[in-house]
Amino acid sequence: MRRNKFFTVRPEWASQRGPGYPVILASRARLARNIEGIPFPPAADEDELERVRGMVLESVARRVADDEEWDIKFAEELSRDQLLLLAEQHLISRSFVEKTQGRAVAARWISGRGVIVNAQNHAKIFAIFAGAQLMKAWEVADKIDSNIERDVVYSYDQRLGYLTSSPTDVGTGLRVSIMLHLPALVITGEIGKTMLALGQSEILVRGMHGRGAGVSGNLFVISNKRTLGLSERDIIAQVETVSRKVAENERTARKILLQEYKLDISDRVFRTLGVLERARKLEFLEAVELLSLVKLGVDMEILPISDFNLVDVVMRIGNGHIKALKGFELDEEEVEKERAVHVRRILDL
Amino acid sequence: MSIFCDECGKNIATVFLIKVAGSEISRAQLCEECSKKMDEATEAASLIALMPQIISGMQSAVDGNLQDEVFSGEPIVCEECGTSFNDFKKLGYLGCSACYRVLGDPLENVIFDFHGSNKHTGKTPTKLSREARLRLKLAELERSLRKRIAEEEYEAAAAVRDEIKQIESMLDSERSKSEKE
Repeated sequence: MRRNKFFTVRPEWASQRGPGYPVILASRARLARNIEGIPFPPAADEDELERVRGMVLESVARRVADDEEWDIKFAEELSRDQLLLLAEQHLISRSFVEKTQGRAVAARWISGRGVIVNAQNHAKIFAIFAGAQLMKAWEVADKIDSNIERDVVYSYDQRLGYLTSSPTDVGTGLRVSIMLHLPALVITGEIGKTMLALGQSEILVRGMHGRGAGVSGNLFVISNKRTLGLSERDIIAQVETVSRKVAENERTARKILLQEYKLDISDRVFRTLGVLERARKLEFLEAVELLSLVKLGVDMEILPISDFNLVDVVMRIGNGHIKALKGFELDEEEVEKERAVHVRRILDL
Repeated sequence: MSIFCDECGKNIATVFLIKVAGSEISRAQLCEECSKKMDEATEAASLIALMPQIISGMQSAVDGNLQDEVFSGEPIVCEECGTSFNDFKKLGYLGCSACYRVLGDPLENVIFDFHGSNKHTGKTPTKLSREARLRLKLAELERSLRKRIAEEEYEAAAAVRDEIKQIESMLDSERSKSEKE
């Protein structure tokens, strides 16, 4: 495969430190939009998907990609491995990988913004920023949205707002999420209380990776449940307030660990570092768990290694990323071997 | 996100759970039936929170509609894309924007139960129909009128009232125009 920048860029949102670092890792906003008069993607036929793709991409090319460089690709042009790589960057969903016909991705990867065409809705407009910067992420997505709207008529209802293929997105079509790293809350068991409190609000919490609904590497995503009946600003404020509170709890838990359980936590993070140093093959989820603890050790100034951005490293050790680096022909075991090598190199061990 | 039960994937989820087992935390949404089964199978300790039943009533709305279909013998089907409420229940998505109008109350209930609202208050497209824009303007003027009256600015209030009358007559003519079409 020709290696182009499309697959080797490290998006700024993952490599930079934003407000709330190292607990709050990134903020994302996405808008779901559909074009009036054409069925939603799950019900649309081939011709209709083509029409939508043409309209959206043409608009993106003219209005958005004019003053900054965007990559525009039909999904059929991309291999399965390349699509998996985009899924690892949280840009498309895993289900997008399974069906490519009529779909497209248009994005400026480096600055974490783009438009996904014909996934669940005709257009998914997204923007991701490092740290707690939801407002900024929404403003960027909103601007792209307004630009596209100059060329197409969106499905919009006076009372229900923007119409979407799933009624869980109707209204603003806006889902905002904040990614957090919460190892101390998990270690101290305080996470249970936090989750319980969140369960009573209009907020969704899930793990960023992991099997099914599980959580790996203590990486959590907090997002809004409601998209209707609240303004965009209210939705952002809701998710931001909750995330700040959770981040605050995490910082408190870290202080307690350091004051009261310093030997225990030192022992644990040093042992974990030992495994990362010595391992000769690493499964992805195992590596994520180990990196999470090592990162905690670095944040708490226990481990004598230089700081790294967890979300960036986790992204770079995904199957897709390892393969893009070392060759798409690698089998699973070879990927695990390369991952162990790659982790040592990234962490400079 | 899906509205269906994680366990059976068939019924709409009405019970939300967070499970904590050691350092494993997971979120689950279940239907009434599976949650009962789960209750029996799970140790109480690992089940820390029974979240409020945000979508309570969703299932009954769905069941109510199914009964309607059974009695009337004629399922509601979107004339634009052929999606029925049953299809929506099975697949979790709607076929097209017309479905929102055609599927009526049962869908309306699902939306209200999920969002706790049925009124959009966010961004509006700039390319709204003329009628829609007039309506928005009218609502804004009515708010302003109430404010003027509350602040005892009667002269300003009178001016706003005149403007409201003007918009109302424009709306009327817009409506009769669309009826002719």
